[in-house]
Amino acid sequence: MTTCRTLACLLALPLLSAVAGENQSGLKGLDWWAFHSPSAERVRSVHSLDGAVESVRKEQGLAGSPEADPRTLIRRVTFDLTGLPPTPEEVSAYLSDSHPEAFARLVDRLLASPQFGEHWARHWLDVARYSDTKGYVYAREEREFVQASPYRDWVVRSFNENLPYDRFLLLQLAADQLVPAETPDLAAMGFLTLGRRFLGVTHDIIDDRIDVTMRGLQGVTVACARCHDHKFDPISTQDYYSLYGVFRSCAERLVSCGEGERKADEAFTQELEARREKLRSGLSKRREEQSARVRGTVREHLLAQRELEKYPEEIFGQLLDATDINPVFVRQWQAFLNAAERKKDPVFSIWLACSRLPTGAFPGQAAEIIKRLPGAHPTVRAAFGTPPNSLEEVAARYGEVFHRIETTWQSWQKEHPGAAALPDPEAEILRLVLHGPESPCEIPDESIVNTEMYFNAGVVVELWKLQGEVDRWLLKQEGAPPHAGILVDRPVPAMPRVFVRGNPLTRGEEVPRRFPQHLAGPGALTFQRGSGRLELARNIADRRNPLTARVFVNRVWMHLYGQGLVTTPSDFGTRSVLPSHPALLDWLALRFMDDGWNVKNLIRLLVVSDTYRQGSAGPSDLASLAHAENTDPGNRFLWRMTPHRLSFEEMRDAWLAVNGDLNLRMGGRPESLFGGSTRRRTLYSFVDREKLPDVLRTFDFANPDLSIACRSETTVPQQALFGLNHPYVAARATALVDRLTGTEADRLNTLYAKIFQRTPTGPEAAAAAAFLKESESAPMTAAAPSPWSYGYGAWDESAGRVVSFTPLPYFNGGAWQGGESWPDATLGWAQLTGEGGHPGNDRAHAVVRRFTAPRKGNYRVSSKLTHEPKVGDGIRAFISHSRLGMVRSTSVHAAAETLDLPSLSFEVGDSLDFIVDIRDSLNSDQFLWSPRITLVNEGGQTGPTFWEAGTDFTRRDVSRLSPWARLAQVLLLSNEFLFLD
Amino acid sequence: MRLPPLNRREFLHRSGMGLGLVGLAGMLGRPGFAASPPRAGAHTAPRAKRIIHFFLNGGPSHVDTFDPKPSLAKYAGQALPKTYRTERKTGSAFPSPFKFRPYGQSGIEVSELFAQTASHIDDIAVIRSMVAQVPNHEPSLMQMNCGDALQTRPSLGSWLLYGLGNEAENLPGFVSMCPGGLPIKGAENWQSAFLPGAFQGTYVDSKHTDVDKLIENIRSPHAASGEQRRQLDYLQRLNQAHRTGRIDSRLDARIESFELAFRMQSAATEAFDISAEPAGIRQLYGDTIHGRQTLIARRLIERGVRMVQLWHGAGQPWDNHDKIEENHRKLSGEIDQPIAALLTDLKQRGLLDDTIVMWGGEFGRTPTVEMSGSKSKLGRDHNPYGFSVWLAGGGIRGGTVHGSTDEFGFAAQENPVSVHDLHATILHLLGLDHEQLTYRYAGRDFRLTDVYGDVLHDILA
Repeated sequence: MTTCRTLACLLALPLLSAVAGENQSGLKGLDWWAFHSPSAERVRSVHSLDGAVESVRKEQGLAGSPEADPRTLIRRVTFDLTGLPPTPEEVSAYLSDSHPEAFARLVDRLLASPQFGEHWARHWLDVARYSDTKGYVYAREEREFVQASPYRDWVVRSFNENLPYDRFLLLQLAADQLVPAETPDLAAMGFLTLGRRFLGVTHDIIDDRIDVTMRGLQGVTVACARCHDHKFDPISTQDYYSLYGVFRSCAERLVSCGEGERKADEAFTQELEARREKLRSGLSKRREEQSARVRGTVREHLLAQRELEKYPEEIFGQLLDATDINPVFVRQWQAFLNAAERKKDPVFSIWLACSRLPTGAFPGQAAEIIKRLPGAHPTVRAAFGTPPNSLEEVAARYGEVFHRIETTWQSWQKEHPGAAALPDPEAEILRLVLHGPESPCEIPDESIVNTEMYFNAGVVVELWKLQGEVDRWLLKQEGAPPHAGILVDRPVPAMPRVFVRGNPLTRGEEVPRRFPQHLAGPGALTFQRGSGRLELARNIADRRNPLTARVFVNRVWMHLYGQGLVTTPSDFGTRSVLPSHPALLDWLALRFMDDGWNVKNLIRLLVVSDTYRQGSAGPSDLASLAHAENTDPGNRFLWRMTPHRLSFEEMRDAWLAVNGDLNLRMGGRPESLFGGSTRRRTLYSFVDREKLPDVLRTFDFANPDLSIACRSETTVPQQALFGLNHPYVAARATALVDRLTGTEADRLNTLYAKIFQRTPTGPEAAAAAAFLKESESAPMTAAAPSPWSYGYGAWDESAGRVVSFTPLPYFNGGAWQGGESWPDATLGWAQLTGEGGHPGNDRAHAVVRRFTAPRKGNYRVSSKLTHEPKVGDGIRAFISHSRLGMVRSTSVHAAAETLDLPSLSFEVGDSLDFIVDIRDSLNSDQFLWSPRITLVNEGGQTGPTFWEAGTDFTRRDVSRLSPWARLAQVLLLSNEFLFLD
Repeated sequence: MRLPPLNRREFLHRSGMGLGLVGLAGMLGRPGFAASPPRAGAHTAPRAKRIIHFFLNGGPSHVDTFDPKPSLAKYAGQALPKTYRTERKTGSAFPSPFKFRPYGQSGIEVSELFAQTASHIDDIAVIRSMVAQVPNHEPSLMQMNCGDALQTRPSLGSWLLYGLGNEAENLPGFVSMCPGGLPIKGAENWQSAFLPGAFQGTYVDSKHTDVDKLIENIRSPHAASGEQRRQLDYLQRLNQAHRTGRIDSRLDARIESFELAFRMQSAATEAFDISAEPAGIRQLYGDTIHGRQTLIARRLIERGVRMVQLWHGAGQPWDNHDKIEENHRKLSGEIDQPIAALLTDLKQRGLLDDTIVMWGGEFGRTPTVEMSGSKSKLGRDHNPYGFSVWLAGGGIRGGTVHGSTDEFGFAAQENPVSVHDLHATILHLLGLDHEQLTYRYAGRDFRLTDVYGDVLHDILA
């Protein structure tokens, strides 16, 4: 990927900004160019991309650069379109292709390759703040998204299948309303549902969805209008809450969007169904229980209305008991009573009137007021035959009325199973307050992700656990059907109100759900259908929308040319720098739309141009070069091609690809970045927004918490440290030289062909030869091998020794164990760390920490064995000497024991084993045991005299690279490898 | 076209003097760990250059440490006249089981839990009227570190690197140490958010003594130093040849970054190695995990590191909902000596003059006792309504108490101080105007203090 230039991209200095106008509404920026659709008139002067670039260059007095050489071109375009280097064969085929359309044919081949979609999907995933995890969640909730990789794969497919961009957007915002249930396109909605969980706080989840939609698709910031009108752009708080209302009217749902390979696997399906059923029944039981509780506490919910300040917003997390009044229901009652007031509802007219009275007005004025409410519901009226003495009493009488109606309804139902209503219409009105579709006692029939705030703490944990069982079954079972996280419209859309200064507790005016007024063009309508989300999508994917096409075209330009025509790819507002080529941008946007929003055609147009094919060295004429460097050092006017520094993904993929080691399998569950066998494209590595690997941050990976259209580009020494010291890079270098044969010159030629797709020059060959010679002749400074080894085996009682010590095969950086995942399929829980470990699952898999004496002498051992858990039956432990047999044995359970041996004699090569097994059963067998061994008497030998299991644990042996591997490593780290001309 | 008058910020931007430009220009020009050296052109005269933050994660009780409340004794076992909602249910007043007494010339009262620290009270300004927003760890940690409870925002340390750069060429400029694992919310506590990844805090598990485990990729598992030097010489030879005829300063930056990385391997190892310290100094800090991490912090700031956070431990150790007497005593016992040692040590080296030392948690604790049903847990719940934080060192007026809580310590009363005020004050001490330290992201200029914050001039020297 071409990362845009940091300075230009991150710091849009408003040097060129036009001063935006202000209209009577107080909104600013109405006459800003980006808020008016591109018109044919504005682009009349443009006839071709190259012509437009050339004419701006001329205006600036700049000359262009000569065309790059073919090898540079094929490297450039192959990386730009697929994120991978060309193979040596592809390069030589291209170099010998003399057809006038050779370059165009190359571009067509690349656009047709499946790797094109993968590469361009990654650009999109940056914008979509893609992550495989939810960010910080409370421990009760599964932290991985079930719907992440299906979304990623859908994006890849969409680019490869050249889905028209307008359709691409529509599906991501509203596939639920455009395609049938259980079809693959539903995965598109991951765009909205893969954001952070924000501790479950609804307003912030919605804010994130507004941001990814408006900044991601429209290049305008709406988020600041959460608190006040945008200071510079024509976006009002009303606009923000219009969009808020759209998303507030939607519920999240996890649905199947394809079959998966396990479709025919009955055991799998049955288990999935069983888990789903548990979730369904658990949720419905708890919903009913909780609603019943609210129906029984009408009095308390009415009284709570007088002290609303005591019922805080969602972010204020109180741990509620079952008997606590839940703030969510208090607010639900508040909204219900507000509606009742507007409708002059006869049931609550007495309550509403009385609650406005001062305390001293009881009972006198209350009696008067009640008298003046002849329309009040007769049952309620009857309850106020005597005037109430206080508002508490009013609430209590309402409580009684509803208690009676609930009792009536319960017995009616018993007598008339399946009854849907009470026969008496007056009673039915009261029943609907408790049970009707708009009842404030109801919890929406939605998944726990939408409803957790309705329940008390214990129930929330229980329900998330049931949801987690479903999620984990889908996440961990190979071939499980893909699932999509979609939004669906709620039956009754929310009527949004402005939160004054962003505070949800101070609600201001009501606003309709509609598209931001000044982006929608004249005559923008209030959304009519459901939440309005589909209409929102249609407003965006509309050729009259002034921003959609321009924003996308500009981003494509940025990825190919190093920076956008507008340098702030997600901010086209009035504070952005004016486009360097405004007419060209509009010409491209119009053409793109006229061409049916055809993405591949757009890319082809940008690439098959003289401008793209320029060299990066600048005009050949020195005066012109000097002039260009002085007047336009940032290359905004395209007097050359800006060199492209490989992104992290391109770098890692290229390291694998140059040796033919890249596994091109597409799609599916994510894998670890540097695990032993991981050779897939970096796109498929696990993106954990909560624990993003440092290496990704170090190499400017897009922050998955935020919609990022343009990554920053930094040069820091941690990048160099990674290249020099990380085992992955060394392993790539070793793999490269493994199969090299022939003379030194042959080998070097092969390496250069693979890595740079060229032959080394004379001086390069000489430098390589010198390096090899020096490396081979330099003395190897020998490092002492570690005396420790880590394995497993069975304890043989009679022999007092471990049978068949076998080294643990996998080291994850902090522990030796059976494989990358723990527990391992074969070796189970067996694990050793510096501090302790865990025995394998049975007695045949005791874990063994082995010390091999490096020198003859008497050694002292000091150690403390700790087993903490009270559950289970503890562990057995043994210390065994290779010649002397067992020297200590013990069992510990929820206890610690000191295991010291004052003096043991060792010959060189004798070993001492520290062995732990599960005792009789596998249950909570983790232990701490980190011995220290001291050489007590040494006969004048030199070297260390003590060894600590903990400290020595990761002090790995220096596993040396061969001189050739070191040479290959240098080439993989060179600037020529990392920068494309 | 009519031009509006320029405000100061626009002026800075337009004249190329905006801090953003400097920070990033520094990054582009020099491949250091973060940015540029401190500029004479900081907004105000800096009083301090760096900060060490003791983060007592979980929330230390102010009424048991720096905010004595004798009135609680009068109400022992009874309900307080006014209480506030917190995360869980609390009951009657719970007088502090710890003894307070006045210290120093200022006579500020401190409890026995921080008796050694209290011997420095005349260098300390205690803010007794801090206010957070909600009674939950996660949002409060974010508020204290990043200035916003929920949104993805850069941490204080990241802002400092962006605004001031890093003086430590061979070390990361912002280090967060926490022994034995991560605090709740992990790396989000030191995130760079929309600032470049290089400004993110570097996490160090200070439980380890082995430098390999302290900093990623700091040592080569496959090449000895001499061999690596030969590789680098070869690499740089290729890179220099490649450089010829190309227009791209990034190529130079990358060439330099390899040299820097090579030097770092030994420099970083040395910085984290406290065995070089005299025995007397090591004794002063104490031979414990917290003693060691505090001493490392001093070695880091001596080498130019801008901010060091010292977290107490994994999870939320100070979160003593129950048995607070026993638990707070144990926890304070782990850090009282190191904190006092650091203050002594910084002072004798003259470093306290331009180093800020900050102490505090994400909130305080209730003066009422936490209940489990009808049973007392002998602990305290979270309290965001009023709590204490203290500052010492560069630019701070020692021996000061700022603000107060009510009679019982439940809520701030006099001069309530928001986290934004605290951040504004720290930035001010470091020479940065919190209203001018902005970063353009998503079409808007963001600040650490959002649209809030007042510098606490009362506690400045």
